[in-house]
Amino acid sequence: MSASSLRVGVDVGGTFTDVVLHDEHRRWWVHKLPTSTHDPAEAILAGVLAVIAKAGRQASELGALLHGTTVATNLLIERDGSKVGVVTTEGFADVLHIARKKRPLNFSSYLDVPWQSDPIARRGLREQVRERVDTRTGAVLEPLIEDDVRAAGRRLREQGVESVAVCFLASFANPEHENRARALLEQELPGVFVTTSTECTPLYREYERFNTAAVNAYVGPRTGTYLRNLTEAVAAEGIHAGVRLMSSGGGTISAEVAARQPVQLLMSGPAAGVIAGRRTGQDVGRPNVITLDVGGTSTDIGVVPGGELRYKHLLDTRICGESLMVSMLDVETIGAGGGSIASVKQAGGSSVLSVGPRSAGAYPGPACYGRGGTEPTASDAMAVLGWLRPETFAGGAMTLDLEAAQKAVATLGFADTATAAAGIVTVLVNAMASTTRILSERKGLDPRDYAIVAQGGAGPAFGCAVAEALGADSVLIPAHPGLASAFGLLGSDLRYEVQATVWQRQGEADLTKLAKTLAELENQAHASLDADQVPAELKQIERSADVRYAGQGYELRVPAPDGEVDAAWMGEVAKAFHLRHQQTYGRSFPEQEVQVVNLCVAGVGKVAAHTAPQTAGSKLDLAPALPPGATRHAEAKVETGAAPVAAAAAAQPPTTDQRTPAPATTVNATWWVDGSAVSLPTAVHNRDELEPGDLITGPALVEQMDSTVVVPPGFAGPVHPDGTLELRLSPGPHQTEGKHA
Amino acid sequence: MSKNLVPTLPGTDLYCTSPGAYTERYWAPVDLDPITLSVIGGALDATAKEMAQVLYRMSYSTLIRESEDLGAGLFDIVGREFCESDSTPMHIGSLPGYIRGINRKLAGTYQPGDVILHNDPYHGAAHSPDYGVLIPIFHEGRHVAFAAATGHLSDVGGASPGLSVDAIDVYAEGKILDSVRLERAGVRNEDLWEHVLGNVRAPSQNAGDIEAMISCCRLGVRRWEELVAKYGFDTVMSAAEAWMDHSESKLRQAISAVPDGVYQAPAGFLDDDGKNRGVPVRIATSVQVRGDEIIIDLTGSNEAVNTAINAPLEGSVLPTVNFAVRTLLLDEAITGEAVPQNDGIFRAVKLRVPVGTIYNPSFPHACSSRFPVINRIPDQVNLALAEVLPNHVTGGNSASLQALSYSGYDPATGEYWIYVEVAEGSYGGRSGKDGLDSIDNLMSNTRNTPIEEVELRLPMRSHGYGLRPEPAARGQWRGGLGTRRVWEFLAPVIVSASGDFRTDPPRGIFGGEDGRRGRIIVDHGTPNERELNSKFAGLSLPAETVLTIEVPNGAGYGDPARRDETARQNDIFDGFAPTDPETGGRGTPAPTTSPISH
Repeated sequence: MSASSLRVGVDVGGTFTDVVLHDEHRRWWVHKLPTSTHDPAEAILAGVLAVIAKAGRQASELGALLHGTTVATNLLIERDGSKVGVVTTEGFADVLHIARKKRPLNFSSYLDVPWQSDPIARRGLREQVRERVDTRTGAVLEPLIEDDVRAAGRRLREQGVESVAVCFLASFANPEHENRARALLEQELPGVFVTTSTECTPLYREYERFNTAAVNAYVGPRTGTYLRNLTEAVAAEGIHAGVRLMSSGGGTISAEVAARQPVQLLMSGPAAGVIAGRRTGQDVGRPNVITLDVGGTSTDIGVVPGGELRYKHLLDTRICGESLMVSMLDVETIGAGGGSIASVKQAGGSSVLSVGPRSAGAYPGPACYGRGGTEPTASDAMAVLGWLRPETFAGGAMTLDLEAAQKAVATLGFADTATAAAGIVTVLVNAMASTTRILSERKGLDPRDYAIVAQGGAGPAFGCAVAEALGADSVLIPAHPGLASAFGLLGSDLRYEVQATVWQRQGEADLTKLAKTLAELENQAHASLDADQVPAELKQIERSADVRYAGQGYELRVPAPDGEVDAAWMGEVAKAFHLRHQQTYGRSFPEQEVQVVNLCVAGVGKVAAHTAPQTAGSKLDLAPALPPGATRHAEAKVETGAAPVAAAAAAQPPTTDQRTPAPATTVNATWWVDGSAVSLPTAVHNRDELEPGDLITGPALVEQMDSTVVVPPGFAGPVHPDGTLELRLSPGPHQTEGKHA
Repeated sequence: MSKNLVPTLPGTDLYCTSPGAYTERYWAPVDLDPITLSVIGGALDATAKEMAQVLYRMSYSTLIRESEDLGAGLFDIVGREFCESDSTPMHIGSLPGYIRGINRKLAGTYQPGDVILHNDPYHGAAHSPDYGVLIPIFHEGRHVAFAAATGHLSDVGGASPGLSVDAIDVYAEGKILDSVRLERAGVRNEDLWEHVLGNVRAPSQNAGDIEAMISCCRLGVRRWEELVAKYGFDTVMSAAEAWMDHSESKLRQAISAVPDGVYQAPAGFLDDDGKNRGVPVRIATSVQVRGDEIIIDLTGSNEAVNTAINAPLEGSVLPTVNFAVRTLLLDEAITGEAVPQNDGIFRAVKLRVPVGTIYNPSFPHACSSRFPVINRIPDQVNLALAEVLPNHVTGGNSASLQALSYSGYDPATGEYWIYVEVAEGSYGGRSGKDGLDSIDNLMSNTRNTPIEEVELRLPMRSHGYGLRPEPAARGQWRGGLGTRRVWEFLAPVIVSASGDFRTDPPRGIFGGEDGRRGRIIVDHGTPNERELNSKFAGLSLPAETVLTIEVPNGAGYGDPARRDETARQNDIFDGFAPTDPETGGRGTPAPTTSPISH
């Protein structure tokens, strides 16, 4: 890792590649350009070089290139990965075929289960070899028959497999057989990607471990090629910082590690969004945030209590129907976004409006894009309501076809299109609120204590309504909601996680074994950080443990204390677990014996940049590049070394400084008030023109190039020094005069 | 006192889960706009799901936690279901039975803050291990609804732990609680609580699980009250009614598309009743379709037996029948639409079954081990309707479910260890696709316990867990394969079993080959080899015994000669068919062909 703190974050989306450069004086530059779909690296390189040039810097000065990628995810979603062979313990070739034997649908005999209808590694390519180790002790019960492995390798070579996963039963207790088999297979299958289950996740539970390795093999060769090409291309341009990738766990890992374990990248995008939202909250003194990242077809929702990143429960770590045992931030994705299609169905004697999960996609897109779409979408509803305006749509880069939107919404058969449009928004918002409630309340977190960070292009349109449905405290809209993932990358630390299954009951724990395992894990974590040349003062080791009551079937992850592993240490772990259990399930059983199942160590390189742009009361320059391809310097005044804004001060901006800015214009827009659609005079602000301390009062629209902030009647709030807009529902009635739309 | 008074629909000999559509209302009906209807429908659905999550994630019983053997939802005052969790097919409409059970004693006496416990299988409970917790909900002082949950507890007392196929009557199954108030107007009856937890083998687990059910119901009450506060009582009730009507009309539409007639399934047989070996237990099934209604007729099924394989009518048989009809006619994978689960799903589905049969036993017959018996009903209904619903049915399914309980005394801890394993099944071939392999079948939908977890916890070692080695049942669309598990015991073990091998194997349809029966074998491939029955209790086996468990393979669908050539080659490559189809390749017996092919 270079000592330079000049950093670039690159987020590759389906349509645009966003690049943000951040310098050592906390200044930043952005660049947006169309994604090069055939080879994403092309746009990345062009964007990075452009942003460096605009900042007047040299490529060689760059300290870090941070990248969020969907390459691996898309391979899995499109089932377009490599031809995978599996080598496994005799008698267990069908572990991947049985999975957990539960059907995803209860009332269906005609469902397909992807692990059988479209297996990652088909049954005929799952080879069995003789070997066995003891699950409890790791002792060898049957030695590895190396001729079996060679023969399996030869058969797989004849079949032309592109990658191989070695999946042995009980290998978490002793990985030697897996490692030996990999060495033999690499000889038999030169040039073929070979991975082992313990390399991907050295934890017990054979199906999840095997499947993690199989998926790693499935996305491995092509992700590896992509990363190698990108790394080489970057180096050829004189960037010596290398490339780091956002992992599903919310930290970054080196391209070398990512190429070995691309299975860690599958939630790269949503994870970056959560990191960005956490940062937005912290910068204005709101550590409790719910991130609402709304795109065209889907919405990612994450909950961050007190700035703490939460990880998914094992039963929820599923992507495209594949259960994986890797750390994933607790983000839920639902099929609701700007492009979600609305329809009306007959329900008994009544009719009912539903929205999504079907989406108009990028092409033709919503009807209002004027590209031939005819079905009504959420974006069309926003156009009909007057929330999207032809004059300013996409910063003027696209034409808004209002007529097409109205026509599409009219197909729903409502008496008036305004009511239909308001209805589409209401239904969509309730779906988002409902998922958020499950993510938060189910885990003992009360949304009333949280700020919603509305980001993604469409997040700021729905943030207030979702907050109202949940009773959330407030809504935060970052300066660049559409660039949240790229900013999230800049705000991320290096993070290498290593784990081991230890299976120790509190009462009879082998403390020596626990201490030894922890020491080994910490050595591994240090080694990973050393490989990235992280200076000692930026290194941090985080311990955690997966714990349950002896007899329970699932664990909860809790932080484990530093220091010596003794009875007191064990007591602290148990205490943390009782507390987490109480919080998660509403009760705990302090009299019951606790079992530590897994130990986890994260080696963290504290290298995150402070992404909050510093300003000192001057007019904010928040316009991202426009049109795509241009770059622009954020002319924020700089206070070198300024401390992060103090939490308390940020939470309550001084009211004396607040003023109401003159709107750019006033329009009539439609709002849903007391169960009906009402047209109200609505202030329209240009976000570029806003200054810290400006007070926005709904109904209002705040327009910026890549997003429109929708401020419904009753919501109001100030612009923070970092440009974040904080909105709150004022208590009491907020109805103003209006006429029924 | 008569204990056998499940009422039939007036003037008929038919049973139905639903009391029918509303004829009188305790709210003022309001016209609903499509938006409000959508939002309230979504809220009800989310509430049931959220209730279930609270219950299964905090519970102790592996059957609640892993198998999600639970039901949760909101109901009206007579048991009409507003919404139900999507956790297991087992409880599709079991809670209305519980509500009728408690109403017969307590209706008119409910107070805010009451918490009622109930598990009487002769008054609506699914079976005695499935405790129900019910909380009445009030609006402006009037009782208007219930939040209710049920879950399978680890132990409810009785003659033996875990499985008890040979219980002689319902008293031997465990402690029966009939409509008791655990809390009255918010005050817990501590003496009753002590009694509930007394004389059971897992009191602290039960305490945790019952508390989990209470938390789950309280959440339901809270969500209901929030909804009413936001939209108004009349609106919420009107929306709930509209959604029930919606689901009802969806199902009636689907039934109407089936030609009227009486459709007979071939007689089915269970291996035996768990005691009288070699005496099969008869299952008779016919299906009558009349306009937009469907009657499942189990007349002719075996008389109730003197073991625990009888099935409680209201809490188990009716839900099974509801499941069978819903799955065949509203299969989400075929229709692409998820119809909300509520009272509307029950209204067009009727059941005829004479009192005194295994499906309508009279008190005090034992009825806790009913799973292998009831899971045959959807398979039978499926076969009966094959000719008229060829694109919805499957070849014969494994249907029976093989549960095994392993336990032993551990001198080191001075305690028993116990592990109940629910083996998976397989589906018959389907129109346009092969049957699902190694997956829970029909009414069962549970998770397995990882082999590595079993080995870490218990003195057991796996020698294999995979698909059965014999070829799949042939057909244009092949049958699914069941599994074979091989366990070695590292210490002496006591084994009990509840299952059915299917002496009559899963039936092939439209010319598909029959499936294959299951087996449990001791020391397979050694001179000591012997086969065990599918149902037995308390068999002691010494350490180092190896037990092999094979569950049935599903049957084929359609003439094997019409199987696509690519699929044929894939079968050979992937090991679903022998290399040489003429000899069967692995010395397997000659296939039989189904009698119901046309």
